[in-house]
Amino acid sequence: MSAPSPTKAPAEDRAAEHGGPEEPRRPKGPGSSAVGRPHAAWALPGVLFFTFFAVVPMGLAFYLSFTAWDGLGDPRPVGLDNWRKLLDDDRMVQSLWLTVLLTAASWVFQTVIALLLGVWAAGRQRNRAILSAVFFVPFLLSSTAIALLFYALLDPNFGIIRENILGSSNGAFLAIVFIGAWQFIPFHTLIYQGGARQIPEVLYQAAAIDGAGRYRQFFSITLPQLRHTITTSTVLLVVGSLTYFETVLILTKGGPGTDTAILPYLMYEAGFKSYDFGYASAIASFLVLTATGLSLVLVRLTGFGHMRSTREGM
Amino acid sequence: MSHDTLPRPRPPKTEERPPVPPVPPRRRHWTKRANPLAGLGSVVWLAVVLVPIYAMLSASLTSQDKALTGNPLSPPTSPTLDNYNTVLNSGFGHLLSNTAIVAVSVVAIVLGLSLPLAYVAVRTRNRWSGLAFRLFLLGVAIPAQAVVVPLYLLIAKLDLYDSLLAVILPTAAFAMPVSVLVLVGTLRDVSEELYEAMALDGASPQRMLFQLAVPMAKGGISTVVIFSALQAWNGFLFPLIFTQSDGPRVLTLGLFNYVSQFGVNIPALLASVVLSGVPIFAVYLVARRALIGGLMGVGGK
Amino acid sequence: MESISGRSNGGQPTGGGLGGRTFSRRWVLGAGATTLLTTGLTACGSSDGSGGGSETIDAFTYGDDAVKVQAAAVDRFNKSAAAKSAKGKVKLVKVPGADYTAKLRTAMGSPSAPDVFFNWGGGSIRAYQEAKQLLDLTDTIEGDPVLKNGFLPAVLAAGDLGGRHYGVPMRGMQPVILFYNKAVFAEHKLQPPTTWDELQGINAKLKAAGITPFALGGADTWTELMWLEYLVDRIGGPEVFAKIQAGDSSAWGDPAVLKAAETIKELIDDDVFGSKFSSVSYVNGGAPAVFAKGKAAMHLMGSWEYSTQLGKFPSFAKKNLGWCAFPTVEGGTGDIRNVVGNPTNYWSVNARTQNKDAAIAFLKDCASQTYAKALVANGDIPTTAGAAELLDASPNPQFAKFQYEMVEKAPAFTLSWDQALGADIATPMLTEINKLFVGQSSPSEFVSALKELK
Repeated sequence: MSAPSPTKAPAEDRAAEHGGPEEPRRPKGPGSSAVGRPHAAWALPGVLFFTFFAVVPMGLAFYLSFTAWDGLGDPRPVGLDNWRKLLDDDRMVQSLWLTVLLTAASWVFQTVIALLLGVWAAGRQRNRAILSAVFFVPFLLSSTAIALLFYALLDPNFGIIRENILGSSNGAFLAIVFIGAWQFIPFHTLIYQGGARQIPEVLYQAAAIDGAGRYRQFFSITLPQLRHTITTSTVLLVVGSLTYFETVLILTKGGPGTDTAILPYLMYEAGFKSYDFGYASAIASFLVLTATGLSLVLVRLTGFGHMRSTREGM
Repeated sequence: MSHDTLPRPRPPKTEERPPVPPVPPRRRHWTKRANPLAGLGSVVWLAVVLVPIYAMLSASLTSQDKALTGNPLSPPTSPTLDNYNTVLNSGFGHLLSNTAIVAVSVVAIVLGLSLPLAYVAVRTRNRWSGLAFRLFLLGVAIPAQAVVVPLYLLIAKLDLYDSLLAVILPTAAFAMPVSVLVLVGTLRDVSEELYEAMALDGASPQRMLFQLAVPMAKGGISTVVIFSALQAWNGFLFPLIFTQSDGPRVLTLGLFNYVSQFGVNIPALLASVVLSGVPIFAVYLVARRALIGGLMGVGGK
Repeated sequence: MESISGRSNGGQPTGGGLGGRTFSRRWVLGAGATTLLTTGLTACGSSDGSGGGSETIDAFTYGDDAVKVQAAAVDRFNKSAAAKSAKGKVKLVKVPGADYTAKLRTAMGSPSAPDVFFNWGGGSIRAYQEAKQLLDLTDTIEGDPVLKNGFLPAVLAAGDLGGRHYGVPMRGMQPVILFYNKAVFAEHKLQPPTTWDELQGINAKLKAAGITPFALGGADTWTELMWLEYLVDRIGGPEVFAKIQAGDSSAWGDPAVLKAAETIKELIDDDVFGSKFSSVSYVNGGAPAVFAKGKAAMHLMGSWEYSTQLGKFPSFAKKNLGWCAFPTVEGGTGDIRNVVGNPTNYWSVNARTQNKDAAIAFLKDCASQTYAKALVANGDIPTTAGAAELLDASPNPQFAKFQYEMVEKAPAFTLSWDQALGADIATPMLTEINKLFVGQSSPSEFVSALKELK
């Protein structure tokens, strides 16, 4: 016989605990037995699969970063050579800076526009719904297709804009930022639209009674209420900005010179153009460490809800 | 407030009134008034979205000779479908079916592996289930680009190089972390009482999963399906590195190769871009709400 | 142009679907992953034909306009008696040009490596030879009169490594030539330049007429490399690069390299490549189109430019395409007859091939008259011994003979730098060259960066 504990609603229960799902919940009374709980082995296929295709390669990348390997024959141990080279490489420094700059520029550009569009689209006029549907169209194309589209539109002799955009440093950089924004703003708009719809109406009513205008309402209610949405969108954006690699590969090949050679591209070049897989793996390991560190920082700073549980874990 | 950012299924409110996405029960009066500035901004963005798309459609309907000389933004005077024929005759169907195989397989693998995993993470109380969940939390931060070199080595050693499996398996693996997080967030919302009620009836864990958890987690599942299908559909790096011949060539790679094949035949190139978007666009037209709702799920509520 | 030929699985064990091997087998492999990685299991052999038994061999080739000659040769070979007796057929895999070398490397490191593959000889195959992945063809060639006497000895030798043959010539000779648009030259009463001063006079006249002097596909850095190759040769002679090629990275410090870089900077400052050259591509046909349409008057390019133009702008190729040697530079020591470029391309054979007989039989076809004629018909100049008398049948005999004589009489033929050096040096070198061209580094910075390459 089990009697469900009536005193706690599940939602409260969740809000009260800081842990993730894996924290053993204290039994909520005599009723919550272990009956009907799946065996942990159910998770095994998924864990093994992921370990094999993601975790093992990561370990391998780390191992390869201490070797010299040209893709043929066997890797040769070379100690810290690749890591020394990494710290000593001017291109690496430039590339890191470019990557940070690209991510930051993308964040500002996409967040501002997506937030405004999202809040606006959360309204319920019919025209907004129709426009939202149109705004979403770029997201239906793959990165490759979008890169090709702009490759064609920006062709200096046969395109729509017949200027030397991709061949000039600032032009190429801004093109990458713009193309990323063109592709991903629809997605982030959607997230903000969802967030804006969650804001309780009563807050606005109270503010209106206090005589707050539309803009004051936006800054004192909408923005603070959206802070978790902003976090979510930011995490996705930062991790996602690594995928601009495809755009770089198709549009600029890291050029002109080295002005759009972001870290993933530098890695690709070291591995699949110079066939220096050891050095490529050192860059890769650096990328993984940075990305992990960055997401941890974001999680710490923002108390990103469902990642909280990682505090003990990492 | 931490639970605000949990990925959750769409609230059931969204079931009403297509094509307008979710509507809160009461109107907010600040949205009832016209907002000229925001309206203007949205029109500007509309132009930013539409001009490239219009240029693409218009150029893809222009013959190549005209495209080299005419004004690119003027509507095509004598529209032609030749470019589309050119692309369709370049083995486009083959590329499309490969991509479809990859997408379907990836979705099946991701769902088949992530669902039991998330279910265990939520329902099972022991150290192992916690460890498994943490593994995937860490996995969110691994950029797929970073492990492409060792993955290539692995693929080559497994004798999978230049096959569709070489694309499917890693793509599925890298779609798993987000999928697991989304599913855990969803399954957590299924209340304990319901499980206990079923336990009283002597239901097995399997039956609880399929009769209770899955129906309750439909939103999260559709998010995972859409997310992993898009990952597979748009993936470029894995096919680029792990395949090379015509046999297992997927759409993104085919597009990439059209650059050297069609060269400055920009109309044909753009026709191939248009065609590559058609399947997803069709899905969007048919299942817009599911797609939008599913994507909202990736960002949480 | 080429359609994606055939929807067969291409003999890849799991190509084209989930068939072939089952998941369960993969899982078994997965479980033993760690053992697998430490023991370094390599599936032996190359891709076999679908279903086993048939002995199809894969031939990788560079997929450009000239590929039709190889495609025809493969079709002919597959129907031939030689194929029957070797019990093998060849399947041609056209790899899109832009990423040919990377694709080759990744494929060669995998079990589904090609049996026969296109390459540039020399440095471009050194890594494969060092990894013992190449079949040493020396004895085969020496012992077979068809192969031994079939090619110009100098060309056969140009692809050697350490005095051993690893390749059989399979395409035309590819010297880099200064092409010019005859219609534009006639209109402005210009003569092809023989000295740098003359060239500068021509540039000034063209710019006054609003025409860009040179087409340059600067989005593909190897097009920029050609300028440096010729300038270094004309200023300091072929010895400068010969030292670099021999592994002496301090030879980049030769004054000729700096002078060449300074000359390039002058050209850029002078705007002779137009304002957009850094985003114009050669591979996608941008630069050839600019040249054919008369927007640019000259184009420094490998001899394949002729085939390219014939494929894309046939009337221009037949009527208005002119050619000449790269001019001398005043005060320089390099002979105007010196040539840079690629002597030819080669087929090399994978040491792990399952059907060596079929591979060799196929290679022999490249020494045949039929094959040479097909090359000639495509506008290429075969490197076969008897090529001279075939040239009258070329679509453009004049161009063919010019090229043949150019190579025949050249005191020095310097292999393209990016092919002569290994990829580990060539890749950063190309990056530095691109930086020089787009103004991100000065000539002196350029030289010091190159000296660092080891």
